[in-house]
Amino acid sequence: MPAEAPEPQTDDMTQDLDPGARRVDAGRLAWLESELASWHDAGLVDDTQAQAIRSRYVAVRRFSLARLLLLLGGGFVGVGLLWLVASNLDELSPLLRFLVVTALWLGFVATAELLTRRRTQLVVGGFRLLASLAYGAVVFQAAQSLQVPAYEPALVGVWGLGALLYAYAVAGVAPLLVGVTTSTVWFVWTVFDTAEDGMGFVLPVLLAAVVAGAVSVVHAARVRPAFAAPWRDTSALMVLLGLFVAAFPDVDAEGFVWSAPLSLGVFAALTAVAAAVVLAPRARAEALAPLAGVVAGVLLVLWEPPAPVMGAVSGEGYAHAFVSVAVYVVAAGWYAVLGVLRDSSRLTYLATAALVLFTTVQSFAVFAPIITGATLFLVLGVIFLGSGFLFDRGRRHLTANLGGAPA
Amino acid sequence: MNPLTSRTGRVVAACVVQLALVPLAVAGPLSARLTGEEYLLEVAPLDPIDPFRGAYVALDYPGLPSSQELGERRYPTSEVAYVPLVASGDVWVGRTPVADRPSSGPFLRCEDEHWRLRCGIDSWFLPQDEAYAMEHAVGQGRVVARVRIDSRGNAALVGLEMHDDT
Repeated sequence: MPAEAPEPQTDDMTQDLDPGARRVDAGRLAWLESELASWHDAGLVDDTQAQAIRSRYVAVRRFSLARLLLLLGGGFVGVGLLWLVASNLDELSPLLRFLVVTALWLGFVATAELLTRRRTQLVVGGFRLLASLAYGAVVFQAAQSLQVPAYEPALVGVWGLGALLYAYAVAGVAPLLVGVTTSTVWFVWTVFDTAEDGMGFVLPVLLAAVVAGAVSVVHAARVRPAFAAPWRDTSALMVLLGLFVAAFPDVDAEGFVWSAPLSLGVFAALTAVAAAVVLAPRARAEALAPLAGVVAGVLLVLWEPPAPVMGAVSGEGYAHAFVSVAVYVVAAGWYAVLGVLRDSSRLTYLATAALVLFTTVQSFAVFAPIITGATLFLVLGVIFLGSGFLFDRGRRHLTANLGGAPA
Repeated sequence: MNPLTSRTGRVVAACVVQLALVPLAVAGPLSARLTGEEYLLEVAPLDPIDPFRGAYVALDYPGLPSSQELGERRYPTSEVAYVPLVASGDVWVGRTPVADRPSSGPFLRCEDEHWRLRCGIDSWFLPQDEAYAMEHAVGQGRVVARVRIDSRGNAALVGLEMHDDT
């Protein structure tokens, strides 16, 4: 009995799982082909064996034009569908409108399944993306037919839950992206709706990061490794966003109100981290890291330095800025390293871009009011160089220690 | 045989659950439409067009507590407020909102945003050209809202009607 091909380990978010040949980067496959040729020349393998090895792999280009067009097409049609619903299908009665949109949604689901049977994987992802977006149209059409205003977070929550259910039912990465995004938006919106202040935004963003990070760890270690990357990227994005906002000195907790969704978020975060540590003890640092982000973010929000007087920043104001930068450098460095360890250049780019943006904004916010002209650029340049040096050294150090890989 | 072991079974089950979630998202207005009784409320205009949502009339209700009245409240506020309704001529008007659900009488269950109440009857969707006409009519004070309210205070806006006597 032939051994089952292993599940693909790629972090390519546009692919959907295929139990057949293992998909690898085109460059890596080219390397394998050259090695096979040299093994063949050396007499280590014969033609049949070389072909058998080669046939176990298929090249994947992560950003092929066809995939890009299909995903863009799926995205545009999905957004257009949502907009069409939003703009009122004037000619139809509310019930008929709902039925039309529901039929479209089910049609996309059925088409994706039919294409799956024919193994046209490239198109399947596009139709699954459409199906998950069309489900949002169903939810919003139901609301519109009943004259419910669109700005209800519950509508986004139901959309997110439905998209997640669909993603796990079909093992599709495209609907997972929709589900993770909408679920995260729902949670942050729901909490922020109650407490419209800095803490009301920072805390749910960071709690969402904790849950996403823990789910990613479990996926990577236990089941459906291809689902790990979207959750991991979401976690990183949320940590970097939460700390970005928390670092502003005027972000506070004055209007903060504890709410039931927030309690649910804390419970979910702690449960998810505990489960991740038990199920994947070797990756506990990855599961616990966003929790450290929560602590750092909350402390930064609670720390309220005095406002500048006549443009003069106080010592405490400077301390707040420097601690914020230090926290952010550590967080961004961690995710850059994680990107290296998990073979995800996307994560490393995200961390680097976030650090550059953060340093720029913080520097201008702190120094621009008191330094002008050439001096400002000199100071900013020194800050950039210092941050970059620390960032790179930290990344190399952590990579060498955690992964044993060359820095 | 467990139907969830097959891919088709899982997809069908997911779609069934997804469909079942839709009424949950609109449970309040759906319940009001199916089980509620009708009341007339006086309306005033708020905002005509939202570029994403298409055309609708955003409504204000002069008979319900205003943002100024809400701002002057001295009692602790919660996430939900109940507005008891009393008849005033042909229409119904709201009294001071309360945190506890009234034991009797018609009342609205609203999200309390401290400076305003959102009772789920804030907007009326209709074709763009009709929205302008309705906005004009609402602005002249010639329109009342027909609202269904169930026993838990959930409300659904079921129609806007022209006042014949104005």
